[in-house]
Amino acid sequence: MRGGPDVLWWENVKTALEALFGNRLRSLLTLSGVVIGVFAVTTTISLGQIATAGITSEIQAFGAQSLFVTRVNSHPEGRPFTNADVEALSRLPIDILRQRSTRVWAVVGDARVRLSLNGTTANAPLIDRSIDLARGRFFDTRDEATGAPVVVLSADAAEALFEGVPDPIGREVLLETSGGNRSYYTVIGVKKRVAGALGAFANDVSGDVPLESLYRDVPGIPRGSFDFLPITIALDQDAGAIERQVRAILDRRRHPDSYQIQSIEGALSLFNTITVILQALLGGIGAISLLVGGIGILNIMLVSVTERTREIGLRKALGARPRTILQQFLIEAVVLTGIGGVIGVASAVAALWLVVQLVPFLDVFVLNPWVVALALLVSLATGVVFGVWPARRAAALSPIEALRYE
Amino acid sequence: MAADAPRAAHAPGAAADDPVLEARDLRKVYVLGGGVEVHALRGVDLRVRRGEYAAIMGPSGSGKSTLLQILGCLDAPTAGSYRLAGDEVADLDESALAVVRNRRIGFVFQAYNLLPRATAVDNVALPLLYRGVSAARRRERALEALERVGLADRTHHRPNELSGGQKQRVAIARALAADPDILLADEPTGNLDSRTGQEILTLFDELHAEGRTILIVTHEHDVAEHCERIIRIHDGRVAASEPVVARRRPPGDARGA
Repeated sequence: MRGGPDVLWWENVKTALEALFGNRLRSLLTLSGVVIGVFAVTTTISLGQIATAGITSEIQAFGAQSLFVTRVNSHPEGRPFTNADVEALSRLPIDILRQRSTRVWAVVGDARVRLSLNGTTANAPLIDRSIDLARGRFFDTRDEATGAPVVVLSADAAEALFEGVPDPIGREVLLETSGGNRSYYTVIGVKKRVAGALGAFANDVSGDVPLESLYRDVPGIPRGSFDFLPITIALDQDAGAIERQVRAILDRRRHPDSYQIQSIEGALSLFNTITVILQALLGGIGAISLLVGGIGILNIMLVSVTERTREIGLRKALGARPRTILQQFLIEAVVLTGIGGVIGVASAVAALWLVVQLVPFLDVFVLNPWVVALALLVSLATGVVFGVWPARRAAALSPIEALRYE
Repeated sequence: MAADAPRAAHAPGAAADDPVLEARDLRKVYVLGGGVEVHALRGVDLRVRRGEYAAIMGPSGSGKSTLLQILGCLDAPTAGSYRLAGDEVADLDESALAVVRNRRIGFVFQAYNLLPRATAVDNVALPLLYRGVSAARRRERALEALERVGLADRTHHRPNELSGGQKQRVAIARALAADPDILLADEPTGNLDSRTGQEILTLFDELHAEGRTILIVTHEHDVAEHCERIIRIHDGRVAASEPVVARRRPPGDARGA
């Protein structure tokens, strides 16, 4: 037969489009199930990928891998870490931030805020990449050695203490300890707000001062004792191996249960697990929507076959093979779900784009072509699966009975 | 399969005794709800020669429409043999039957049965579509067929923009477009006023004059008298088969009786 199947295939697509456009409202309503299903599946998978990409890019931007060694307060041997601990760990290719925190009251005029005061070393900005100054400077080794009364405020702290002051550099802050000690500190720097997922929701009211200054002005903190040790590892090092070495060194110095090591990588894998669970959950909802959407297609195709019984009878009377009628209605179902799939993917892309624009820590737009392909494939498959039964019913109609149908 | 048989087969006088249709002892039983059986055909024997122009007449419920539907391969007999151009129809599967309906039979319905959303030319082209003819060729042949039935100026009208007579002409053009062996018409003038009905019958007369085999089911004598032969059906059997003595002729028909 001269080009028979191809001619028919295209004509069937045209007939399907005509039928669908002839019942525009009904087609749209029928589509909605598939649209929602495809939308749900596409957004869930992509949102997970966008979140992971956001976190990963942040860690990459951080420029290093990190470990966080903390003491276990409840353990009898959970005493603070000492300079000797830091020295012992310094054999490893790592940077350790000596840091001690406490809480004080900070007073400027009428403003009085609870401040988290970190005593740290001048090299802190090199180790903790989240330290990024908006104005001023960080304290230097000379300030560190002399215990200079200088403070670098977080963005939130500067805002709370110096509301309406464009540049608080050089101004003084009174720090009051719970023991009643009062000392004036000069603001030498203001940090930027911490960007990204790690700082987006935190209200960080803190100030960094030289460790020596903290020891001097806050009584009750023994010199050379640390609650936790932030450790950074260069990107080219094997963080897992280093973590094992840190553990080996510390185990010789204190009880293995008296401290814990956390890593961002570990947190990330936890985050990934949560993401996967969420994806599975929402993906399941998407799958259910697709099923419901598919049943909608099934229903409307059965209605379509019934409505067009006479038309089917006529087409068969004029020489349409059962296969051709089957194809016609199958194509109609697939075109219907295919349009639903395209609308679903398009609205998912729009929604994801909006999310990336609006949510601060999701800043990498990821649209995996495989996800789009999968979503479209699933929508087409829905059309085939739920269209085949009504199409077979149409194909099996006897021409004369179909023509007699009222 | 002689689907693309040369047009010469339709020429006047070609194998005049060759039965294009041959039915033997055709029976059709409808089983209604509750197991009630209705015997629509009770053993019909019928031969129709190539080029013949015959009317099937009978009262309502005589089985004449059922017979035409079986002859048109739209319905299957419960028992009996039906040979169309030598082929036993009972041996054909659904797909082969579709080919037969498409190529050998042109069926004209009382209610026209046009696709309401399609234009006249698209309606006429429909059988050609199922034959796999290309779009350009379909259009060409559909336009020829519409011109043949006198609707060259209505090719892009939809059925709701056409009169009853015009719709039936479109339906006849559709039956002609696929160039079938035989034309079967079920009460083709039943929904038309008498003047329009006459125009349609004149068209059938002309098509017969061109050599086509035509079978018309009717209950009107005026219609039947256009034909060469009247086959009378009564209670599901052929009660009589008689030549028409005083044929109504289309104006200008030069053929002798």
